[in-house]
Amino acid sequence: MPKRRDILAIVLIVLPWTLLITVWHQSAIAPLLAIRKACHHLVKEIFIIPERLAVHHHRLSDEGAEGKRETGGQDSKEYCASDKDIVEVVRTEYVYTRPPPWSDVLPTIHIITPTYSRPVQKAELTRIANTFLHVPNLHWILIEDSQRRTPLVTGLLRETGLNYTHLNVETPKSFKIRGDTRDPRIPRGTMQRNLALRWLRETFKNNTSQPGIVYFADDDNSYSLELFEEMRSTRKVSVWPVAFVGGLRYESPKVNAAGKVYGWKAVFDPHRPFAIDMAGFAINLKLILSKPQAYFKLRGVKGGYQESSLLRELVTLNDLEPKAANCTKILVWHTRTEKPILVNEGKKGFTDPNMEI
Amino acid sequence: MAARMKLKLKTVFVLYFMVSLMGLIYALMQLGQHCDCTERDLPKDRAISRLQEELYRLQGQIRQLEKLKQPEKQPPKASLPTIFVITPTYARLVQKAELTRLSLTFLHVPQLHWIVVEDSPRRTPLVTNFLMKSGLTYTHLYVPTAKERKLQEGDPSWLKPRGVEQRNEGLRWLREDRRAQPGEDGQQGVVYFADDDNTYSPQLFEEMRSTQRVSVWPVGLVGGMKFESPVVEGGKVVRFHTGWRPSRPFPMDMAGFAVSLKLVLTNPDACFDGEAPMGFLESSLLKGLVTVDELEPKADNCTKVLVWHTRTEKPKMKREEALQVQGLGSDPAVEV
Repeated sequence: MPKRRDILAIVLIVLPWTLLITVWHQSAIAPLLAIRKACHHLVKEIFIIPERLAVHHHRLSDEGAEGKRETGGQDSKEYCASDKDIVEVVRTEYVYTRPPPWSDVLPTIHIITPTYSRPVQKAELTRIANTFLHVPNLHWILIEDSQRRTPLVTGLLRETGLNYTHLNVETPKSFKIRGDTRDPRIPRGTMQRNLALRWLRETFKNNTSQPGIVYFADDDNSYSLELFEEMRSTRKVSVWPVAFVGGLRYESPKVNAAGKVYGWKAVFDPHRPFAIDMAGFAINLKLILSKPQAYFKLRGVKGGYQESSLLRELVTLNDLEPKAANCTKILVWHTRTEKPILVNEGKKGFTDPNMEI
Repeated sequence: MAARMKLKLKTVFVLYFMVSLMGLIYALMQLGQHCDCTERDLPKDRAISRLQEELYRLQGQIRQLEKLKQPEKQPPKASLPTIFVITPTYARLVQKAELTRLSLTFLHVPQLHWIVVEDSPRRTPLVTNFLMKSGLTYTHLYVPTAKERKLQEGDPSWLKPRGVEQRNEGLRWLREDRRAQPGEDGQQGVVYFADDDNTYSPQLFEEMRSTQRVSVWPVGLVGGMKFESPVVEGGKVVRFHTGWRPSRPFPMDMAGFAVSLKLVLTNPDACFDGEAPMGFLESSLLKGLVTVDELEPKADNCTKVLVWHTRTEKPKMKREEALQVQGLGSDPAVEV
């Protein structure tokens, strides 16, 4: 007859070990599983695709032959280290879900976009949102240059389904009008970008483990998806060429054989500390958080020196990481949209003002 | 003797219990702190990014090969009518940028077939490579515009109609391709003319998918106004709200209507007339196909703007030109 005391003793021994094992299993294995699943998923597609390509080639050359079905399962298992619960997913659709599922391992890209009301605003935000909906782990910080958040932007952000933060700060009129006649560029969007930086610093504590990349994206530029994948591996500040800036086909950092940036390929003042456009660099979130005093300079900034006003407080030329195949590929274009001619609206406005454009 | 044995066993048990409890507490504390796994995960992330890039590339290749063997293959989703988007394009600095952001919009639309027609005597490598990597179902055509019909350097954009031959070529290919594909499913579809510098919201394509003959909707930022639009009363188009020449048979922009594939196929001679006076290009196609009464209003009875006639500035190349004169221009091998 087992005594109650013995049973109690056995339970007391076994209980802590079971708790330990379940807890340990959850914490250590789960992230690895996520990576494995992502890896498997991708590898499955990559290995299936060549099979299908082979099938096509086969059929083209020899009409009668029956193509092979998917046998990529074996290969992906070997590639990704054995994992028993492989998900047999065969994707035949190439339409991406909007937005892509959040990954636990990819660093988040925080995109800071200042915007202001004008006729093309909704169009610009729509097409840039269409681009962002393809990028996994993207967080869009949209800052309006207005006294309060407009319903146009609020509605648009909600409808896209993106992960976003909606802020606003109005640039005082005195900044908007050109003060110094020698100043060719008005520092547009500066207060908005600084607000976003402050928001990031307030939201993420200094020793956060959540990796992130900060990128300043204007709403009228054109971005390719490859750009976002390139910037994801930024450790401090990464740079790449930008098309249609500085009156050139493209401006680019100069990269030496050792893969380090030593200068700038630009005609407009190439001796600036950072002769680069706002769209040509990305900063690791940790760096932003570790230097809480670094902001864009508001006053007394010469045209073209705005980027330098922030970057010189964060990195030196030596720390820059060149991307886009050592700065030889164009992945972002500094396009500008024409101001639409609204001459037929006349003085009183011809069209229904309630219709949102 | 037995008592002492029991005592020893008891201490052993207690010790054992304490050790396991310590271990548990230690493990729980470890869990509380986020582990700094960046070093371990980074190579895996890089592998994933690399794999994703490869994936995009390979998907592009599949598209191309599927194009080659199209007659045999039936689309898996035969229930959703295909939208055939005809886009004329021509080489200029912003071409790749425009096509890139256009393709990223189209990737959100299922069952879309992009027909890109270049204004060029041959297929350019830029567009060829771009389409391969885009991940879309596409057809790449080309037809050069006759010299006298082309806009010269200083001409304003409205002087001569643009893209006429290219759109007609797209229609011609579509008719030929569909003739080779008998069957009900092959005749279902919608044809839309999309310029490469406009802005489209994916919702627009869902609206046009149900077109029976010709459907219409408002277009933003066109005709010198915030938007142009058909005016709908009782579910039918009664007139057009436009600030410029409202007496045209169809005072609409190219981006403001879509034609059902059936209508295109049953009217094999309907095409754009390059000789039509300015602003009458759309009417030259539509007047042979449909009457104003038959137009189907979309976008909530034409109350929402889902497409904008944006135009992109020509980038300033003063410094580039100055450099090229000195022979120090930017590397032409770098594709912009």
